[in-house]
Amino acid sequence: MYELMTLKQAAEALANKTVTSVELTQSYLDRIREKDGAIHAYLEVFEAHALEQAKASDERRAAGKALSEIDGIPLAIKDNILIEGEHATGGSKILDGYVAPYDATVTQKLKDAGAIFLGRVNMDEFAMGGSTERSAYGITRNPVDLERVPGGSSGGSAAAVAGDLCIAALGSDTGGSIRQPAAFTGTVGLKPSYGTVSRYGLMAMASSLDQIGPMTKTVEDAALLYQIIRGEDSHDQTTVNTPPFHFEKRTDLKGIRVGIPKQAWGEGMTDGVRQECGRALETLKELGAEMVEIDLPYMDEALAVYYVLMPCEVSANISRFDGIRYGQRAPGLPLIETYGQSRLQGLGEEVRRRVMLGTYALSKGYYDAYYRKARKVQTLIKRAYRKAFESVDVIVTPTTPSPAFKIGEKLSDPLAMYLEDVYTVGVNVAGIPAVSVPCGKTDGLPVGLQFIGGMFKDDQVLSIASAFESAP
Amino acid sequence: MALNRNDISRLAELSRLALTEEEMARMEQTIDPILNYVGRLTEVNTDNVPETEAADEIRALRGDEAIPATASTHEGIMANFPDKKDGLLRAPAVFDKPKA
Repeated sequence: MYELMTLKQAAEALANKTVTSVELTQSYLDRIREKDGAIHAYLEVFEAHALEQAKASDERRAAGKALSEIDGIPLAIKDNILIEGEHATGGSKILDGYVAPYDATVTQKLKDAGAIFLGRVNMDEFAMGGSTERSAYGITRNPVDLERVPGGSSGGSAAAVAGDLCIAALGSDTGGSIRQPAAFTGTVGLKPSYGTVSRYGLMAMASSLDQIGPMTKTVEDAALLYQIIRGEDSHDQTTVNTPPFHFEKRTDLKGIRVGIPKQAWGEGMTDGVRQECGRALETLKELGAEMVEIDLPYMDEALAVYYVLMPCEVSANISRFDGIRYGQRAPGLPLIETYGQSRLQGLGEEVRRRVMLGTYALSKGYYDAYYRKARKVQTLIKRAYRKAFESVDVIVTPTTPSPAFKIGEKLSDPLAMYLEDVYTVGVNVAGIPAVSVPCGKTDGLPVGLQFIGGMFKDDQVLSIASAFESAP
Repeated sequence: MALNRNDISRLAELSRLALTEEEMARMEQTIDPILNYVGRLTEVNTDNVPETEAADEIRALRGDEAIPATASTHEGIMANFPDKKDGLLRAPAVFDKPKA
């Protein structure tokens, strides 16, 4: 059994020929069979296909033709990212039976790099949720504590990484869906700068905010995987030709100015989170960073902006799921009833709530008060971050106000679930990168520290986070 | 700005969503607190502040040209049709009773 290997370690072991991709892949398939019954990270395991891919990888490597450093490494993929010929449901019943007709750009890039796909992992329906309890295919449990949620919406990805059911995974983040589950499971999750990773082949939730990113065991692994999936793509007009990526594994933070927004460190977090994150700030100081208290206004407003813009985009994006072109159709009804009934049978309550919220905010008489207003406040939020980054290199906050909560605890109160996103959504609204890194445990539950960087400074954020991670 | 049952029913209709009675009640209970929360935006002074434009994010527009799908993509899309006839997507009629 190969256990708890990081992407970097696995890449080195493959390069040194101390392990083959088939051995590595088989060992992960065995562990999934043994452990995933209790966790339910995977919706489907591509056993035969994964082993085929692994065999091909070993042959390439033996011939000296490895495609990349990660050739032969088994990964888990969130169920809203298309892999041609494989089922993809986005955690929704309405896409039960749907088979992806093409590869997402990130999938293509991983295939070109020789990665192995172990399977597709669970998520809140169409990425709407913060606990993976909103999947139509059953909940996923947190490997750290099986009575608790793994976070969401990329809860399957986080649980697969934390439970060592894959070497690394891909997730997607619209308001915190990579970082919050990373924090809840003690793993690393990067929400890249908007426009650096193609969304082609990602099921759209809120297109102006969605971004695919790596979920890994270490910061270095996140950098490695991010480097492979990033890049301009003619299939996604919002992608950019970003400057070269220079990740540097750092061991000190001399000359780095760390911004501590007073708004984020006030009320609202649990004592345990405050204690662990406070200790983390001490560590940053010991590493040589200069700590600067900053003013970062509009934190609560960012959450409000998010919960206007996101449902508006959701209401448009989810309209494609009407039972006509794909997925489940309620049969034998006139057209309008076909839409309504297919969406009643196929879409879960949280998705429908957000569709209705968005429809409301975009409807005549309310558009100015909600959508247009939110777009204006978004400008203020972007300006506030830009101003903050004039005097600091990175901003640090807790990733979440509390550690992983109990299964069922917040299911009946959507607003309580939304408030969990208070530290993460601003980053999406501003389009900037952020990574969550484990920073300790409270009552046995992992706590995440969030490092936020300026636009397209993904490499800098990761480099700074790597110093924190390697601190004794 | 409390939404009443009629508003919820109208929203569901606009959203092309059928709702059960039970769900209608839950929507009524849960949507209001969310609208109240986001209502704080009205207190932010946005005089002379421009909206963030979607166009800011779109850095390159491509030409309006059809890009042909590969045969396998074409087949894959067809295979996902819930109902089809002669290689075409079959959908319910838009009009129940077409005029003669």
